[in-house]
Amino acid sequence: MASQAAEQFSEVDKLRVQLLNNVEDMTDCQPDDEPVSSREILIRIENIILGIVTSVSKGEAPVLALPNRSSWANVSFDSAIGLQMSSGPSVSIIRSDCPSSVTKFAQILKILSVIYRLVQRNSYATKRDIYYNNTQLFGSQTAVDSIVDDISCMLKVPRRSLHVLATSKGLIAGDLRYMEEDGTRIDCHSSSAGKGVPDVNSRLMVRKLWDTLHIPIFALVDADPHGIEIMCIYKYGSVAMSFEAHSLTVPSVMWLGLLPSDLQRLWVPEDALIPLTKRDESKLSSLLKRPYLSSQPDWQKEMELMQQTRVKAEIQSLAAIAPDFLTSIYLPNKLRYGGWV
Amino acid sequence: MLREIRQVLRLVLLLGKQRQRRCERAGGLLVLLWTEARASGQSLNCTVAAAGPWCTGIKMKALQPDLKENMFPCTWPCPEPDPEELCAFTDLYGSLRLLLSFQMKDAQLFNPEWTDHMESFLHTFSLANAGIKIHLKFIFNQKTLQQEFRVKIKSKVAQAGDPSLSLDVTCNTQPPECVKKGCWCQGGHPVPGGRLPLSIPPQAMDQGLYGELSVQPVTLLRPCVLQYPNLATQLTHIQVLVYSPSNVPVTGPSAFLQNLPAQLGCPELSQRGLHCSSFKDLVLSGGTVYKVEQEMLEEESSPSTIQQSLLLFLFLQHSDPFTSHISDVMATEALIEQHLEDILSNNRQAVTTALQTELKNTLKAQNRRKKDQEKLRSAVDVILSSSISIVSCSSNMDFRQACLNSMKVHDTHELSASLCESLRRVTSWKFTPRGRCYSAQMEEHPESDEPTRTEI
Repeated sequence: MASQAAEQFSEVDKLRVQLLNNVEDMTDCQPDDEPVSSREILIRIENIILGIVTSVSKGEAPVLALPNRSSWANVSFDSAIGLQMSSGPSVSIIRSDCPSSVTKFAQILKILSVIYRLVQRNSYATKRDIYYNNTQLFGSQTAVDSIVDDISCMLKVPRRSLHVLATSKGLIAGDLRYMEEDGTRIDCHSSSAGKGVPDVNSRLMVRKLWDTLHIPIFALVDADPHGIEIMCIYKYGSVAMSFEAHSLTVPSVMWLGLLPSDLQRLWVPEDALIPLTKRDESKLSSLLKRPYLSSQPDWQKEMELMQQTRVKAEIQSLAAIAPDFLTSIYLPNKLRYGGWV
Repeated sequence: MLREIRQVLRLVLLLGKQRQRRCERAGGLLVLLWTEARASGQSLNCTVAAAGPWCTGIKMKALQPDLKENMFPCTWPCPEPDPEELCAFTDLYGSLRLLLSFQMKDAQLFNPEWTDHMESFLHTFSLANAGIKIHLKFIFNQKTLQQEFRVKIKSKVAQAGDPSLSLDVTCNTQPPECVKKGCWCQGGHPVPGGRLPLSIPPQAMDQGLYGELSVQPVTLLRPCVLQYPNLATQLTHIQVLVYSPSNVPVTGPSAFLQNLPAQLGCPELSQRGLHCSSFKDLVLSGGTVYKVEQEMLEEESSPSTIQQSLLLFLFLQHSDPFTSHISDVMATEALIEQHLEDILSNNRQAVTTALQTELKNTLKAQNRRKKDQEKLRSAVDVILSSSISIVSCSSNMDFRQACLNSMKVHDTHELSASLCESLRRVTSWKFTPRGRCYSAQMEEHPESDEPTRTEI
């Protein structure tokens, strides 16, 4: 039995050894990520306020410069890190004398003042708290979420250092127990999944697992462009959060399934396959142009196969072969025989 | 006398139109009035002289004696004016193209208010004929009163099928003190509306009025604050001026226009109401004036609200291929003016809708500014409270002192007040220069387009 179990994970163990060797090489290259002190955060906020007061004293309307987090032109790809924000990114100017931008200016200042108090008192609030304290000013939760990330990027400080918390979308479970910074013990004995486009907390968790345990991270996503993109965000990061790539990306993520080549190999029934929509095709083309794909020829091949066959499938499509095909056959064999790319 | 002067102006302008040349409506007009003692009492003499491009080609001798009789039925021939009086005029504008003199048959009609009436009429004429410089001279009882109507800023408005209009768009509103030199538009920007065909009522047709009649509205909003997109504005007055097809102002009160506010559908225009000023005002200011009532309390204007007035020109246009002789054309104009009330009433719905459209367009801009101003105001409150909150609870003395020094205040209470006033001013008075605006170096004594009056 023991030898069977060892056989089951022999390929995974080999992968782990390989990854551990890479980690030693990578450690030298990674920048020294000293956390920013609370004092420094307060000073950075005060500098912004002083800038505003100085502008007004000169008879000029104050402006804020926000690094542009949605432009591909502002990111570069590093194989050891993923997508990271370029130094000297282009900025968007938020003016206080323009009706179309003054509300955003006010929202930023409001959240800055909230963060200032939180950091000063070493207390915490959620993004939801911030929104509900002034729903009229913010209009939507999305506005608050976006501005908190903008402030994090503007101050060059990780979001968690701003003492603003978010409710996670992801779930975690398995044979894992850990203790949080405040001493809380977490037991993850139940099934888990990240849901949809990963939020920062989910990505932080995965990154934490890698940093602490150095265990191989496998992605099981739907065989469609959206699923592939979710996996890419875990592995390489996003444009929007590229300024925090060092703490969020997990370059060691491997694509376990569902691979487009699996659909042919396993003879997944045709009625379980879905034709690609125009949007899917557009997304797929865009993914193939991403800078990190050039270092993943196997991923490229899988995506080109999807382009040729013009079909996609969900993980649940494996149930069309047999109800328990996924857990009884597919996953065990994938792990046993190294069926990842 | 005013009627006769209007007839002369009509004659010159129609002759210019008839010549089918793109004649420039520029030059000079002299109106000279003087009293003469006679055995039977005092008589009032009038000489109208014209020179310059606007009357090029006029041949006085060609004017039929009976035409003069028809134009001036209530006047007698009068002695020619003192040539020296005409010298200064010809020195400025060249040789005279038109010289008509006549005497009022009943001098008792002349009264002190009449001079104001004359000035008002000539001023209104000048608004739509901005290229013509007008000199008015009264000589009464050895006392001379001179006025010049000259336009500082003109703007051309194209008219389909007719020569372009030259409008006086000068605005004399003094800019607020906070406005820097060279950053205030001293004129307005006329906006032509859609040409509106008018049907001729039966009673006018019976009198011989045929052809195609229409009205061209043009709006002029002053002062111009296009360079200050964040300023709130408030429309306080609307003045309606009507011009005949020859571009001579139509004088006298109009019952249709006086009752127009009731027809305009005030709720649609987001105003509480328009009401008409008194008759006396009408005579002096020319045209019909509406005062715009404001909504309650929210219209307590902030210091940065600019009051504006709207001038609505209504240019009547007429064409009749069967009328070409100058005397017929002038008679047709007389008919149009005589039946103007009937014409406007006959086209009540169309005229009201057209004027509603013009007013709505003007008020749309005002409402947008009001919304923007409210947005800015509420955002500035948040910016202020957030900034002051950070300064107040900061333990960084260097930072606090730097903020206080920057605004030249002593404590956070003063900082709050000073920052509030400055931030509001800076955001409200945002200046974006526009090439179209008439922003010139402001002089210490800006030249006025009001008639310059001298007494000798």
